Formats: sequence, structure tokens, C-alpha cells
Amino acid sequence: MERFTRSQFPDTPFLFFTGKGGVGKTSVASSLSIAIAGEGKKVLLISTDPASNLQDIFGQTLSNTPTKIEGVDNLFALNLDPEQAAQHYKEQMVGPYREKLPEVVLQNMEEQLSGACTVEIAAFNEFAKLLTDRSVIENFDTIVFDTAPTGHTLRLLQLPSAWSTFLDDNTTGTSCLGPLKGLEPQREIYKEAVERLKSADQTALMLVTRPDVNPLKETARASNELFEIGIQNQILLVNGYMKDLNSNDEMEKAFIARQIKALELIPKELKQFEQYYLPFVPYSLSSMERMQAWMTDQDITHENEIEKGMTIPEVEEMIADYLERKPKIIFTMSKGGVGKTTVASYIALRLAEEGMHVHLTTTDPAAHLNWTFGDDKIKNVTVSRIDPKSEVANYEAEVLAKASETMNEEGLAFVQEDLASPCTEEIAVFRAFANVVENHKDEIIIIDTAPTGHTLLLLDATEAYHREISRSQGEIPLAVSNLLPRLRDANYTSVAIVTLPEATPVFEATRLQQDLQRAGLSVNWWVVNQTFSSIETTSPTLIQKQQAETKWFEEIKSFSNNQFVAIPWVKTPPVGTKGLHELKGEKNK
Amino acid sequence: MKKIHIYEPAMCCSTGVCGPSIDPELLRMSFVMNNLKKTDIEAERFNLTNEPNAFVENEAINQLLMSEGMDALPATFVDGELLCKGKYPTNAQFSQWSGLSEEELVQKPKVRLSLKGDA
Repeated sequence: MERFTRSQFPDTPFLFFTGKGGVGKTSVASSLSIAIAGEGKKVLLISTDPASNLQDIFGQTLSNTPTKIEGVDNLFALNLDPEQAAQHYKEQMVGPYREKLPEVVLQNMEEQLSGACTVEIAAFNEFAKLLTDRSVIENFDTIVFDTAPTGHTLRLLQLPSAWSTFLDDNTTGTSCLGPLKGLEPQREIYKEAVERLKSADQTALMLVTRPDVNPLKETARASNELFEIGIQNQILLVNGYMKDLNSNDEMEKAFIARQIKALELIPKELKQFEQYYLPFVPYSLSSMERMQAWMTDQDITHENEIEKGMTIPEVEEMIADYLERKPKIIFTMSKGGVGKTTVASYIALRLAEEGMHVHLTTTDPAAHLNWTFGDDKIKNVTVSRIDPKSEVANYEAEVLAKASETMNEEGLAFVQEDLASPCTEEIAVFRAFANVVENHKDEIIIIDTAPTGHTLLLLDATEAYHREISRSQGEIPLAVSNLLPRLRDANYTSVAIVTLPEATPVFEATRLQQDLQRAGLSVNWWVVNQTFSSIETTSPTLIQKQQAETKWFEEIKSFSNNQFVAIPWVKTPPVGTKGLHELKGEKNK
Repeated sequence: MKKIHIYEPAMCCSTGVCGPSIDPELLRMSFVMNNLKKTDIEAERFNLTNEPNAFVENEAINQLLMSEGMDALPATFVDGELLCKGKYPTNAQFSQWSGLSEEELVQKPKVRLSLKGDA
């Protein structure tokens, strides 16, 4: 694999970056923008990060119009906050009715417009405006977006009947298109935006990932989805690849070996694209000088933070708490790519070893049954897997069978697209999960995915509504209605948020925590995975990494109210009983 | 011309797709409203998400919501008179209002079945 350098930059006017939080999308997008601007091209960099670290990087306040970046000729930046866009959109829909409709009614409307779909669509609306705004396009040579729209949003906008008959005379049901309806006047803009995204002369999609097994798999999925919609001009960027400098440090050698192994297993879907790497840096790329140096391979002065001597609690503290409190359900949750399945497996293993009866259920598509346990048979543990794909397929069949009794073809096409929405997958998985809980009443149940606050509120509202109109449970599965109140009972359910000691994962974790609180769930523990701070190393690179982590531990300590534990980075992927025991940390070995 | 107007709460999807299951009541309403439309009755549903304005313009529903809140929905008005609240009307009620038999009311429209795969 070659290093990503100037000669590999695509020369399309639009560049989109996609990848899970924490893979370095913003760093790569910013570095690239600085480099292109440095050659005299006029560049507009657009961030959609709600807590834009672009503002920190450039030390400037950004808004939703292009702002000149001081110190870099030809570079302008703009910040679109999708949450804010959704908020604005929601207000546009609800605002005119304030004072005119009672408060409870407004609340009901607002919650219905709080789903992932609304945020996605509101964000796309902002994208589309920029992508088709002549004054913007003609003013810049290159427009760089640090994030790309999802497949679901694009498909929704592409349904041929979307803007014609269905919205006009849809009496049989609203849908994810409910939120879309308010955007109807812009239909031509969307069409043009989507065409632009699909054209290889206009747009290049940069897939940013890490040299690790699961992130590579996730990237393959995202790539495939966008490829099928027609965005086929894709380039793979593996960020954080550590060059082998033949160090004698055991940890550094292991770190490199793990990366090489992961890259050998690169999913075949990704092999058709050009692939490049960007080097591992142990510090955060939080200034222009550092980013420029990173792109051009110059040596830069290393960050030299003084270690604050914080003691980092090990994961066994959390296990001790569980043994004492004995919650019935334990969720491990995160925004992907930080190892929640591993953490769930570790908790299951340890509680079982202490004599508790445990049922572990996973939705991780990357995990085979018993994957994390390897071939080891473990006493007191049963394992099951909820396959989101087949749960959605079952649910889809059920829904379509019923919907086709009343709907015409356009209506059905919409229902089908709704079924591909993130909310639907969550609901389908939640139903399956409720059955697991019902069937394993005598065991502690550990699950590696948790529903979002919106899903819980939605289920709640629907349940109350069903009870009201049909004076019965309606068709709400009993397992679901039994489970809802228990999730809010802190003695019954415990939530552990999994994160990494880095900017984006920590930020995403705080958002998850807020979202759950909105639905009345409380978070008990934060688990900081893959930390270098708790390992012994002589590698200068890894020592710097340890220092860079200090800041994030401080933040986590405060966000978690001091309820956090850390898991060390380990030399080989933690598989099997022995592998999982490596996660304990030094003093518990 | 008789007018049957039903005011419904905001639903993410009234198909129930985003809810935990398809709601048979909502399905029944789809049948009934479709069949009523074939007659000369003005049969309309107003969903809070899509048509909040309808809730403002109709003073009676606005008042009802002020005094009873969301529990009053769904609410059905026949020729401007509130005849059913907190639940959907029964087929017997619809039959009485429309003159159609209960069987005619829930007759399934003829549509091509699943178009799965070619959307």
C-alpha cells in the first residue's frame, strides 16, 4: 500500500469523506484542504460535526457561511450542524403552531420529528443547498465535505414517485417521508444534488478507516451501500498506519503486527478501489502546522504534556460493582468501532466465573456465534445472536403483507424504504431482544447493543396510544411492553458506554448519554477501551500516545461522574478465555 | 354531502412501521376511509405531523385538545359534530353515518400484491 500524497489527490470539484467517528475524517479532510489551497486553488471546507473541531483546529469561529481561514491563502471553511439543522427544521414545522395548539400537542409533534431520519434529511437539505448553489460552486475550485450522506437518505430522495403522487394524496399513512414533506418545494434541488454525487467527474468519495479488522468491515458495508446507489468513484484511505522502524519495544512490534494482520484480511469489496495509507500520529492533529507536517511527512516537535499522575481504574472495579448490585440486564453501547462486543463478552465471562448464570446476546454482524469466546466452552454462559438483517427481513415481510392489503404500489415502495431506515432496524432488533429477555428470566442478560432514546420514546408513545385506542395491548408484543418500564429501573438495568480516549469517540459517548437520559435511562459506567496509558512501553511514539490520552481521561472522569474504568490495548485481538483475561490490566493479573 | 373528519395524533408512520408492529386499527381505518371515498361522503384524516393547520382551523378540535390534551385523539367529527373521541369509531358507527353495510366498509381494495425487489 502506498502513502497518500499530493499526486494521489482526486481532482474532482467535490470531495466527500465517509467513515465512523474517530477514524480521522476531519483531520484528513482538513489536511487535504490546506494542501490543495497551498497550490493556489480556492477551497471551501465544509464540516458537519456538531461540535466542529474545525473551530479548534483553525482557532476561528465558523458559521453556516464561508469564513476565510486566517493564515492560509485560498482556504474558506463553513460549519453545518446537523442537529441544529434538524432543530431549525423542527421549529419551522412546529413554530407556527405555538400559542395556537396546546403544549402537549406540540410536544407530541416534536418527538415525532426527533428521529434519526429527520436529522439525516435536514442535514441533506443543507448539503443539497450548497451542492446546487451557483454562487458557491462558481466561487470555489474544490469543495470538501468532511462527511457524506447515508445510503438511506439518498435512496429515500431517489424514489421516483417520491415527489409526485405519494406525497400529494397519501391518505394511507405517513412515513419517514413525514419529515420530508416540509422540504417538498426543494425537489428539483435534490435531484440535481444526487446527480452531482453520482458523477465520477464531479465527485470522489474518500472512505476513511483504520487498519483494524472491524473498522475495515464497517467501511466495506458503507462503501457497498453507496456504490449500489451509484456513487462509484471511491478511494480507500487507511489512517493511522504505523511504519515499522524496527524498534525493540515489544508493544510497538505487537501494534504493527496487529495492523498488518488486519490489512491482510481486507474485505474483498474494498479491493477494487485505489488504496492508500496515512501514517499513525500519537498526538491529536489539532493545529495547522501539525496537519501540514503530517501531509508532507515533515518531522514536527512532539507534544510534551506533563503526566498528571491520574490513577486509571481497571475494569474489574466495574465487575465488582455488578457482582454486588446484580442488575438483570446489562447493555454495552457505543457508536461503533470501539469494541462493545469485546466488553460485553468480558463482562459475561467474568460474571460467569464468579458463579452467576449469564446469557450473552450480540447483534454484531462481524461476530460469529461464540466468536469472542473462541472454541472455549464456558460454564454458566449461554450465547445467542440477534441477526439484524434477518430480524428486519421478518419484520419487513410482516409489514409488507399487511400494507399490501391497503396500499397501492407507490405506497408500498415507500413503506419498503421506511423499512430500510435506521429506526426500523432498531425496532426490529428491540423486538427480538425483548423475546430474549422473556426467555432467559433466570439469567443475567448482557447485550452489546442498546436502543436509542428516540426508539424508547417512540415505543412508549406507541404503546400508550395502542392501549388508548384499542383498550388492550393492541398488537404490541407482550415481551416489549413488559420490558419498557424495566429499562428505566436502575436496579434492573445497567448501561455501560464504551469509548476510546480520543476526541470524537468521547464526544459521541456524551451524546449517547444525553440521548438515553432523555428517555429516562441512566448510565452507570463508562468503559475506556484500547488505552495505551495502562501499558508498559519504551516506544517514544506510544509514550506520546499515552500523554495525549491524559486530556481525554480528564474529560471522561468528569462526564462519567468518576464512574469509569479502562481496558488496556492488547497485543492480539482479545479472543477466547485467555485473550479476554488479558483485558484485566496489570494489577489484576 | 356528509363530512366525516378524523383528527389523529402525530405518528412517525401511521403504518406502524416505525412502531413495534402494524396496528390493526390503523389498517381498518385505511380500508374504511378508502371505501367511504368511493361514495359521495367527504372522508378525511388529519395527522398532526402533516396537517397541524387543520387542528388550528377547527375550533372544536382545538378546544378539545386544550381541555383534554392528547388523550382526546383520535377524534371524529361528522358534519362538524364531535361524535367519537379517544378511539376510532366502530364499523357500526361508520355504517350508521354512511349508509354502507359493515361488509362494504371493510372491503379490501384490489391492488397488486408485493412489489418487493422491483422498487
